[in-house]
Amino acid sequence: MDDLLNEFLTETAESIDVVDIELVKLEQDPNNKEVLDNIFRLVHTIKGTCGFLGLPRLESVAHASENVLGKFRDGELEVSEHSVTVILESLDRIKEILAGLEATEEEPDGDDSDLINRLDAIAEGADAEPVEDEPDTVDGEIVDTTLGRALKPGEVSLEELEAAFANAPGPEDTADDTAPEPEAAAPASSGGSLYDRVGGEDSVAVAAHLVATRIANDDQLKKFFEAVAIDLRKSKFLGLMMALFKDDIDAADTIGRQLVTVTGFGDGHFDKMLKLVKEALVECQVSSDDADEAVMTFELIREAVVNASKEVAKSTPNKAGTEQKTGPAAGAAGPAKETKKVSQSIRVNVELLEDLMNMVSELVLTRNQLLQITRNLDNTELAVPLQRLSQCTTELQENVMKTRMQPIGNAWAKLPRIVRDLTVELDKKIELEMIGADTELDRQVLELIKDPLTHMVRNSADHGIETPAVRMANGKPEQGTITLNAFHEGGHIIIEIKDDGAGIPVAKLAKKILEKGLATEAELAEMSDNQIQKFIFHPGFSTAEQVTSVSGRGVGMDVVRSNIEKIGGTIDMTSVEGKGTTFDIKIPLTLAIVAGLIVKAQEERYAIPQISVLELVRASANSSNNSEHKIETINNAPVLRLRNRLLPLVYLNEVLGFMTREEIDAREEADDFIVVTQVGPFTFGIVVDQVFDTEEIVVKPVAPILKDLDIYSGNTILGDGSVIMILDPNGVASLANNGVQDQQQDADGEQEAVQRAKYDETESMLVFTAGGGNPKAVPLALIARLEEIDTADVEISDGRHMVQYRGNLMPLIKANPDMELLEEGRQPVLVFTDREYTMGLAVDEIKDIVEEKLDVKLASNQAGVVGSAVIAGKASEVIDVSYYLNLAFSDWMRSGEMVEEGLDNRGLQLLLVDDSDFFRNMVKPVLTVAGYSVATVSSAAGALQMMEDGQMFDLIISDIEMPDMNGYEFVAAAKADDRWANTPIVALSSLAKEKDINRGYEAGFDDYVAKFDKDTLLRSLAQQLKIKGDAA
Amino acid sequence: MNDLVVRDDLSVVAVGTGSQDFVTIKLAGQTLGIPVLAVHDVLNAQKITKIPLAPKWVSGVLNLRGRIVTAIDLRNRLGLDPLEGDKQSMSVVVEHNEEPYSLQIDSVGEVLSLDDQLFERNPVTLDPRWREVSRGIYRLEGELLPILDVDKLLAFETQGKAA
Repeated sequence: MDDLLNEFLTETAESIDVVDIELVKLEQDPNNKEVLDNIFRLVHTIKGTCGFLGLPRLESVAHASENVLGKFRDGELEVSEHSVTVILESLDRIKEILAGLEATEEEPDGDDSDLINRLDAIAEGADAEPVEDEPDTVDGEIVDTTLGRALKPGEVSLEELEAAFANAPGPEDTADDTAPEPEAAAPASSGGSLYDRVGGEDSVAVAAHLVATRIANDDQLKKFFEAVAIDLRKSKFLGLMMALFKDDIDAADTIGRQLVTVTGFGDGHFDKMLKLVKEALVECQVSSDDADEAVMTFELIREAVVNASKEVAKSTPNKAGTEQKTGPAAGAAGPAKETKKVSQSIRVNVELLEDLMNMVSELVLTRNQLLQITRNLDNTELAVPLQRLSQCTTELQENVMKTRMQPIGNAWAKLPRIVRDLTVELDKKIELEMIGADTELDRQVLELIKDPLTHMVRNSADHGIETPAVRMANGKPEQGTITLNAFHEGGHIIIEIKDDGAGIPVAKLAKKILEKGLATEAELAEMSDNQIQKFIFHPGFSTAEQVTSVSGRGVGMDVVRSNIEKIGGTIDMTSVEGKGTTFDIKIPLTLAIVAGLIVKAQEERYAIPQISVLELVRASANSSNNSEHKIETINNAPVLRLRNRLLPLVYLNEVLGFMTREEIDAREEADDFIVVTQVGPFTFGIVVDQVFDTEEIVVKPVAPILKDLDIYSGNTILGDGSVIMILDPNGVASLANNGVQDQQQDADGEQEAVQRAKYDETESMLVFTAGGGNPKAVPLALIARLEEIDTADVEISDGRHMVQYRGNLMPLIKANPDMELLEEGRQPVLVFTDREYTMGLAVDEIKDIVEEKLDVKLASNQAGVVGSAVIAGKASEVIDVSYYLNLAFSDWMRSGEMVEEGLDNRGLQLLLVDDSDFFRNMVKPVLTVAGYSVATVSSAAGALQMMEDGQMFDLIISDIEMPDMNGYEFVAAAKADDRWANTPIVALSSLAKEKDINRGYEAGFDDYVAKFDKDTLLRSLAQQLKIKGDAA
Repeated sequence: MNDLVVRDDLSVVAVGTGSQDFVTIKLAGQTLGIPVLAVHDVLNAQKITKIPLAPKWVSGVLNLRGRIVTAIDLRNRLGLDPLEGDKQSMSVVVEHNEEPYSLQIDSVGEVLSLDDQLFERNPVTLDPRWREVSRGIYRLEGELLPILDVDKLLAFETQGKAA
């Protein structure tokens, strides 16, 4: 295709998308001049380019819309829903024509006069309004009434319209008449050309004069310009500025080449000259912004000027070899074109990027191969260049990845328009909120989730959000909200689609499940609501009572789910009837390279995508082994007890047909590894013979003849050059249980998870030993990572142990001052991270992770210990992480001393509201030690939910800065309710300025404690509880 | 593209003025020909990764200079007994629908330039499984050389999971 046309198509498509969004914005906020200007400019550009490329049909449609927009802008016309609808329609028409153009390189045939007439009628209609009395404008009145109300003008009125237009100036004529209007108006506003904005020839002449004169006075610049007479110099600058500001690049380029005839004029000089130009322009009453823009245009000729100066040095001995201002210099045309586009970004063909990505992937693999080979060699000569190569490759890979990254907003661009159309069609009121639109992800992934996302938003609007009447009746605000939220989380992107609609009706769904025979009544009776709701992911489900034009075409959530799973993502849903539905989608940032866990079954290795791997467990089938995990069977179905849950198991050997179950059971001394895998909401274990490393793998599709094998999602070449198959956990699961998913175990687990998330009753504790004495424990949630650090890497700096960790120096603190670091080997280290602080806590041995209700029995006098608790049947010391963080970073936070008072607080119920896991886990033990019984919740909404559930507390501690609902709002809401009105609420926040504190008291907090001053907090709690007690 | 041209020439069997080049391969004592232009690579014994659950005539996948190639067990495909003992097979890499495939064979012979006049259609008595993938027979001195039709050999899509 013609390059020009190609570029035009891309650019116009982009512009149209923007206009789509902006128009919807405009409709909501008709007086937003900025939005209007933006729309007008974009449509204007489209029109202009069409004319330039000779695309009459496109041009006429764009022109007619521009016409209406122009009137909006000039305030001659009110922005109305109808007019916006018609403009949107014309944009759709433009898109249609563009699609035709793309396919055939020619404008498709078609008649747009109907649309253009309507557009023109809108433009005309308003014109006629002020002069209603005139008999001539009868036509206008008709038009007016037709357009003012009816959504889509019927045939009849259209004919009338056309008749009217036969008399009135025709569309083309009107177009021609009105076209210059906006442009003529432009200089006054900011929309005109640069030339006009800087004040036309007059100011440019003055500015040129000023520059030409001043340049001779500048010490650095004068030597370059002295050779030329002042008058000639002036006319050169005048010509140059005129050409530049009028966008005549060729002329500017030619003049630019002749501007400097002395060698040595470099970038620095050019900058200096620009400064002079800007000053001159500002003196000529040009606004600073326009002057900046004007100066920017000089960048277009920077290269030409500087190069010309160099060329003088090379070839031309006669310095003053310039006689003319203009005139095409021979040979200048070629390079001139190259200098035209000096821009910060360029368009690159997507295919080229794909190729580049593939090459880089190969490079990464080859690098890995090389590294593996040299690992076994003692040739140190290779090591250094190889390391360098490795580093470059990594950087290259990262950068190429970046080129493929696009903000997720691109996939959302169409949504406002869709939702807007839906609100009209379905007569609902819906607000679309988009958070994190600039979160980036691979464009390949982006393409693949675009449709599922659109589908889900449609679903939310169609099925989810109720009509305003229903909403009002249910005591909800008339306007429903759909919230899209995207953010990064550990190599994945999480997209949340939330609506505050009706939720998924369980009863209705259950009926339908029965109808379709997907489950029996008995089965349904045993299922939780959430399980039943998850049936929407089953093929062929649509809950809308009527099949609307919007959704419910039989392609339902199952397609969405399979699309998301196809790209290695997962989707989860929670829905509360009457409250709304939330979908959580988790997808990898990129598809090209993923982390894979390499496992072995029989003599072959396989990769399991890391994204679906939750954890690894070592277990044995025979009791002879002393491993604590043991595979048990229920009627031949292997299961594993894992932290009080039964995990269904799948033998990879059996799934792949290597062994029968009898053979597996007959093995002796079996030592199995279980890869705990999650597929959607289903968790199961894959039993493998051995687990190797995690490796970065480049996923390649399997050959067409293997496409039928669901068990593989691709294959890849490992660092050692061997090809291995990538297992698709989905396929493994379905092979293993023949499609029975969402099992009971799952339900229990889920409820457990929900409970844990809500009330945090039990606490996962990591038990370890350090020095002598009792085992020590720390809440697992506080630990960022567990590492084993080579003692050779430990350095001593400033008397403290440090280790290089993930590119930074990490202080290493001994968990017990009495313990010794290992002399050699690998030192187990618990890594704690809080904001930018990362600390390693060296321990002797990591013992276990136990899940237990944290019940700290005794406060301790010992520094660094919160107290002791019975964990796994043994008295253990619960360590105080803040103490160690303080040791590592003196600036971390002042740590208070342990208080011994308050033990009589036993039995008092506290609620801790804080969005930070770290703080929840920090504060809870402290409060527990002080004798309180503490419930925690991670959000204000969650806390209010607890209030709804009828829970009562003696005191509430709340953070201020929390997402969604901050502490101020929370306290206001809580205090406004009878149930919690008398419960003292203490703010615990790092916002400790007087202003914040005052605001806190105003909002209703009973006390305000700076985060995290233990003493003050405990004192405040005691005080508040006393006040409450006294009052009662 | 060139191999396509060769094939076209061959289908016009009778004209017979030119000659075609073939790579000969050995499979269970039988010599077979593959049009030389269809052959991308000839490899010695390779490490082949087995694919459990795959059709029987797929012996696995192998790495050819960073490309993943699907290996086809030609013996199995043609209904022959598997190669006995620990003898390693050689690979002839061909392409079908832009996907590389490696045909696992016993050994590779020479490249023959054969006169079109020696070409003959498949005899009707030929095993149907062979007839399906053989394009015709060259009458050589001392033996007959069936020519493998690579595309038909690899057109699994149309015939499902036969074999």
